[in-house]
Amino acid sequence: MSEGTLERAEEDLRAVEHGEFGHAMEPAPGLLPGELRPHPSPFKYVVIAVVLCVVTAAEVAVSYLEGDIPDGLIITLLMIMAIMKFWTVAAWYMHLQTDKPIFRRFFVLGIVAAVILYTIVLATFHVFA
Amino acid sequence: MATIEQTAAGSTPATTGDDHAAGAHDPHATSTGVTHTKLAMWIFLASDCLFFGAFISAYMLYRGRNVGSGPTQRDLFDIPFTSATSFILLMSSLTMVLALAAIQRGDHRRVRIWLLATALLGATFIGGQVFEFTEFTREGLHVDTSLFGSTFFLLTGFHGAHVTIGIIWLLSLWGMSSRGRLPQAKAESVEIAGLYWHFVDVVWIVIFTIIYLVPQPGS
Repeated sequence: MSEGTLERAEEDLRAVEHGEFGHAMEPAPGLLPGELRPHPSPFKYVVIAVVLCVVTAAEVAVSYLEGDIPDGLIITLLMIMAIMKFWTVAAWYMHLQTDKPIFRRFFVLGIVAAVILYTIVLATFHVFA
Repeated sequence: MATIEQTAAGSTPATTGDDHAAGAHDPHATSTGVTHTKLAMWIFLASDCLFFGAFISAYMLYRGRNVGSGPTQRDLFDIPFTSATSFILLMSSLTMVLALAAIQRGDHRRVRIWLLATALLGATFIGGQVFEFTEFTREGLHVDTSLFGSTFFLLTGFHGAHVTIGIIWLLSLWGMSSRGRLPQAKAESVEIAGLYWHFVDVVWIVIFTIIYLVPQPGS
């Protein structure tokens, strides 16, 4: 290792020790690494669970709708409620709402990639026709 | 010298000559400011979205284009039963976050209660799935009966395998906690298991809607 590399490494070491990189790993007291804000309270978790149960009941009720209601409307309602539930769990139970945005970016990247890829595949086979 | 070389290579910085001394360095320091394990779990979950997406797309592709004999969705699905098992899986997400909240408070007795409750709810869901598969098989639907059978068993079976892995993971955490090997400082271990568990839950939200609730063509 050259003298210059050693000096740079020592400077980096001092910078890391003083948190100068802006990536300090030490979370604030009571927070886990990667958290920006504290997680919700247990009471809030229970409230979220009640909301999820209500939406699930509504979903099942919508699936039983009969009469002249077009399938397109039923499917749209079901998909909206599924997305609501999905995002509620991801945001609050998986803490995307309170953690650093890097996690959200990776997860959204995976979802968007999957949606684009498989929408193209299904469209190619005229599934939406 | 060893310390400086480690730092130059991008690994953990040390503050003393003794790398193994307690508190000598932060073993989790990374250039992103978040731990590798948590970031790796999120990247894994993102990649799993593509995996499940492939199976869901295959199911949608063959939906209403049933090739082969055997019963169809309309003959088999028991929506009230599957709604009940879906509700159970949804509630297991609640017990999972309560386990995380408990370990963050240092309440180890409640951590064990909630971890066990989550594993039991997951096992109940799997029991329901095994019952459903058994019923479908009795009705004449096998994995090679029709396109519906192939795509249905592949998708729900793959999800069930994820849930089973999650149950084993939760039980191992419960065992560690029972032996006093899951201190408050290891709260992130519970959080990462929780991320996996919630992902399994959100995937089921999509599967339940698309397979069971969306009206079948011609119904």
